[in-house]
Amino acid sequence: MKKRVKQSVKDKRNNLNGFLFALPWIIGFLCFSIYPLASSLYYSFTSFSPVSDPVWIGMKNFQNIFQDPLVVKSLKNTLFMSFISTPLNLLCALCLALICARQQKAKGVVRTIYFLPSVIPMVAGTMVWIWMFDPTYGIINSVLAKLGIRGPAWLLDPKTTRWSLVMMGLWHVGTAMLVIMNAVQEVSSSYYEAAKIDGANVFDLFFHITIPGIAHVIVYQAILNLINSFQYFQQVYIIVRASSGNAIGLASGGPANSILMYPLYIFHNAFVYMDMGKASAMAWLLFLVVAAMTVIMIKVTKRVTEGMGGE
Amino acid sequence: MRRYVAFTMALVVASALLAGCSSKDKTEDNTNTTAVSGTAVQESKEEAPTESGDKTKEIVNYWHIHTGDEAKVEDELIAAYNASQDKYEVVGLSMNDQQKLIVALSSDEGPDVIFSSNANLTTYYFNGLLKDLQEYADRDQIDFSQWTDKAIQACTFDGKLYAMPESGGSAIQMFYNKDLLKAAGYSEPPATMEELYEMSEKITKLDGNGDIEVMGYPLFPLASARQELIYAFGGRWWDEEGNLTPESEGILESLHMNLQVREKYGIEKVQAFVGTANTNRYTEQDMFFTGHQAFRFDGAWLPTMIANNNPDLNYGIALVPGTKAHPENRGASRYEAGTVAMPVNAKCKEGAWDFIKFASSHEGSKIMDFGRGMTPARIDLMDDPDLKSIPGLEVFIEATKQGNGINYPQIKDYAKYVSLIDNALDLVYNGYQTPEEAMADLAEQCKGLE
Repeated sequence: MKKRVKQSVKDKRNNLNGFLFALPWIIGFLCFSIYPLASSLYYSFTSFSPVSDPVWIGMKNFQNIFQDPLVVKSLKNTLFMSFISTPLNLLCALCLALICARQQKAKGVVRTIYFLPSVIPMVAGTMVWIWMFDPTYGIINSVLAKLGIRGPAWLLDPKTTRWSLVMMGLWHVGTAMLVIMNAVQEVSSSYYEAAKIDGANVFDLFFHITIPGIAHVIVYQAILNLINSFQYFQQVYIIVRASSGNAIGLASGGPANSILMYPLYIFHNAFVYMDMGKASAMAWLLFLVVAAMTVIMIKVTKRVTEGMGGE
Repeated sequence: MRRYVAFTMALVVASALLAGCSSKDKTEDNTNTTAVSGTAVQESKEEAPTESGDKTKEIVNYWHIHTGDEAKVEDELIAAYNASQDKYEVVGLSMNDQQKLIVALSSDEGPDVIFSSNANLTTYYFNGLLKDLQEYADRDQIDFSQWTDKAIQACTFDGKLYAMPESGGSAIQMFYNKDLLKAAGYSEPPATMEELYEMSEKITKLDGNGDIEVMGYPLFPLASARQELIYAFGGRWWDEEGNLTPESEGILESLHMNLQVREKYGIEKVQAFVGTANTNRYTEQDMFFTGHQAFRFDGAWLPTMIANNNPDLNYGIALVPGTKAHPENRGASRYEAGTVAMPVNAKCKEGAWDFIKFASSHEGSKIMDFGRGMTPARIDLMDDPDLKSIPGLEVFIEATKQGNGINYPQIKDYAKYVSLIDNALDLVYNGYQTPEEAMADLAEQCKGLE
């Protein structure tokens, strides 16, 4: 039986003080996170436009979601980004991390160069990429032309639009690179020395010491990136707005809806079609998927960490 | 003692937090407001007139979508209105963001008057955002014969008036590069699509790699290819009753000609040209401004942009061609109107209606149309010498007078339909589907639209 520890008056005061100091944040959290969350759950079972009162329609919004071909299309596009872009980003981050970790001269400069794109605002970065993807004057096709390859109309051909986004994603691996690099540097040098004495080559060192040593970080990053990919919005929003001449009230998903991501489609439903109920229902589905991914992330990270003998 | 200090501090912080979130007594950022009177932007309350300068006036909040020079024209309109009477004061805000408008309206913090294109007006109407203006119009015995029928039609839903037009006309016509035509041996622009195709073939130039250096056929802008290139053949995406008609014969005919051009020069090469044209649209490197595009279907705003980017460009403006079989389609274009409407939860409704009347009056419309170079919706401005002096506007007025403008359909899912059309056209343009296949699929997808 648990023995109840009696709190002293001082402890109680401290607790109360702590609660009072946290109160502004708690009020903010309740007002701006919990209330909207609960509201959107209610709205997902209703039909309403921005100025009308919600009308309860039960599961109809959820039924509509699964009957809407664009939901399926947007899910496919989002999954493409999740399972193509995420591994490539991680691979790129890992390579850069290894380069940076082994860099002896101008270490800070090299890291800064690789990390710099991550601090550039997404809007500015995406606009630069739109110019780089220009089929005639863009730097990417110019470089390809020098190699004798004819570059496509990257952002106009449905076959290449998503790959353009993958390329853009590679530019933003700075944060993952830093995290992985720190993990690489934390692997004890004694393991490498012992392995070298036993005759291990570079590949043995990498696959049998480095990778197991940083596996927990890679898994964590992988799942984090996967979750982020389900919220892929800014880049595609900027691209479709720019390519439609910044027209108001247009719901473009790129050429043949090839870059219509799930969050962008939620946005279209809410603010172009003004179907707030359906948008709320879609947002809740996304929430459930991301929540499930988070649970998986926690479990897998824990298992990998335990497997490595860490905490 | 410490406990009281902590409690007081927590209360102060909580109050500050909540006060910061309050929508009342807020001070708006004046950098993007267009408060003409020089007073700060204030909340409007019909029942609580607000002190402004030395007079008591009710504030009417007006949100428009214009920026830069066009926002200055809105300022002029507001200043003229504010000077014309002493009961209301209009405060303008340039707000080119539909999301913000919707959020503001849903939280009852929206404006009293909004500027809207007729295309967006349809979406606003079907979502219940607009106040019915019919009762005001009937009360004030508004004579609708002052405006073109199409302009009033664009503002009327289910027989009731929901907005008033400031401008309106056949929005897109044909710009052509005189030097390119002359070099190909032509002195006059084409009158039919067949002529245009023939001229385009002669004008189109390829470089050493076979890439398109100069494009004849007007495949760009894509919005014009979706509309005016189709209308020229008599194609219609919807009929007069608002029924969706994606398998219309004219659409297929137009798409076949469009595809013929793409296949002749290579779909990839045409897409590369169109992609670059899209990235550089309305910039100094715009394909038409730099002499890389012979024909351009575009709006009345283009002459100003040409003057700003390449004043030496030798160009002309003519009506969009018809076809040999249907010459009467000359000048056919989307009908676009700039309208002013009242949100359903406007606070100062009488003031809003008063301003709407002014904005659509002879004086108000002239300020807007002359300042922005737009085709007037008012019949009494059609032959106004000031408006006719605007480069190129006469052609747009002529097209509007012909009555070939095509109004947007008054259906709830218009925005979804346009999205589906774009999707189908992308598949055709990139060679993934034939026009027949794409339009048949589109017809199938449209069945669920309201």
